[in-house]
Amino acid sequence: MIRLRGLTKDYDRRQILRGIDLSVDAGEMVFLTGASGAGKTTLLRLLYAAEKPTSGEVWVAGSRVDTLARAQLPALRRRIGVIFQDFKLLRRKTVLENVTFVLSFHGVAPREGQRRAYQVLKRLGLHHRQSALPETLSGGEQQRVAIARALVYQPRLILADEPTGNLDADLAAELLSLLCDINYQGATVLVATHDLGLLESLPARTLVLQRGRIDYDGMWPP
Amino acid sequence: MIRHAVAEGWLVVRSRPVVSLVLAVVVAVPVSLAGVTISVRQWLAPVVDLGDRESVVVVLLHPRLDDGERAAWLETQARSHPEWRLRAVAPDELARRLGEWFPYLAGILDREGPDMLPAMVEVATVDPEGVARLAGERAVLAVGPTSSVNRVVSRAARRLSVVLLAMAAAVVTGAVLLAAVWVHLELHRHAEEIAIMRLMGATESTVRGPFLVAVAVPSLIAAVLSVLATAGAVAWLARLAAPFGLAAGAPPAALLAAQAVGALGLPLAAAVLTLERHAADREE
Repeated sequence: MIRLRGLTKDYDRRQILRGIDLSVDAGEMVFLTGASGAGKTTLLRLLYAAEKPTSGEVWVAGSRVDTLARAQLPALRRRIGVIFQDFKLLRRKTVLENVTFVLSFHGVAPREGQRRAYQVLKRLGLHHRQSALPETLSGGEQQRVAIARALVYQPRLILADEPTGNLDADLAAELLSLLCDINYQGATVLVATHDLGLLESLPARTLVLQRGRIDYDGMWPP
Repeated sequence: MIRHAVAEGWLVVRSRPVVSLVLAVVVAVPVSLAGVTISVRQWLAPVVDLGDRESVVVVLLHPRLDDGERAAWLETQARSHPEWRLRAVAPDELARRLGEWFPYLAGILDREGPDMLPAMVEVATVDPEGVARLAGERAVLAVGPTSSVNRVVSRAARRLSVVLLAMAAAVVTGAVLLAAVWVHLELHRHAEEIAIMRLMGATESTVRGPFLVAVAVPSLIAAVLSVLATAGAVAWLARLAAPFGLAAGAPPAALLAAQAVGALGLPLAAAVLTLERHAADREE
């Protein structure tokens, strides 16, 4: 599902990622961890083509992402569910509209879209806030809206950037169980987190990024 | 996708009603002005055409010229200005004309005979000003008329229509720029949303649709306004022009259709170009 070859990324001559080689098979659940500034978010951004690598190759679902033409990016992104660290919610849209609007890109009819969005929100315990604007929600609620938006179209690959950062322990456990369910149904899940408690609660393949390199690749705890 | 574009585009229009209205008016005014100018120019076409007609300019030659010098002068002018038609008026004919125009001269002319009159040459030309320049020559006593009224009226009508069309073109350019700047500012205002939509897999047409709808609404208003304003103004001017015998009619349907297409198409073209430029240097 994901293959990286000799991936490097520089910002202003500062090397963020240095020659990363990685392969993630379809249906795997993988945690990506490391200190702040280790390059976790950059790695995820390279996967959904928000950035171009300085060198190396990025392959996602059989497509070489780093050389994709501008016109081909939407199709790639519609196959990936991304949970952003800063939520990236549309401020003028309600919770339900924030989840529904991505379905319109997939050609889902508005009524069907609303039904699906409501189901996902209900699963995440947010259905009672479907008409609220994002600014009236707590950080945890906003994060759950972002998660609902990434899951609603059932992508085969989910990239989550610190998805539990604003959630309390109970909600974090609930989210993890949700991601496990989705992974169990066949989706590949890559979660970037610095929450070691999260890693310990669910033994899975873990990649540790340190100074731009993968320092550890195996089950956690080691 | 169309439903999304219409809904979001309408939100943009509703959030900026004054700008939308100003854009509609700024587009409608010059397009109407151009329409009125073209209509009135059609009425004035016969007058403008008169300017290209020949008029006759009279040249009086100095009485001291003898027959040979007069013939040489005529030959020189015919050679220098092949486009002029020169005709030497016989002294008898000149005397007859003077007698008709000024009856009190009839007695003197009969008594003195036509030979005391200066030689007169008629020049048929479309360029009376060119003949008037002969007035400075030693052999020439007087030239007149120095210009054709038709020509003056025709030139004034031509210049007026050029000035009005140039003004319309300048204001249309301003309107197109306004549309482009508006789209540019709206793109900035919605930059975060656009970036999120792209990250979620929105295609370019999904991103652009709402902005095109937002420009299409005032453009549509401008199209209707410009057609109504042109028809109204032309009807009013036609009433004013009727006493002058001008064939003042309603503006042709093709002109009104062209106005509607222009009012609708120009701001949309500006919006498309701005969106294209924006897409080229985009991304989060």
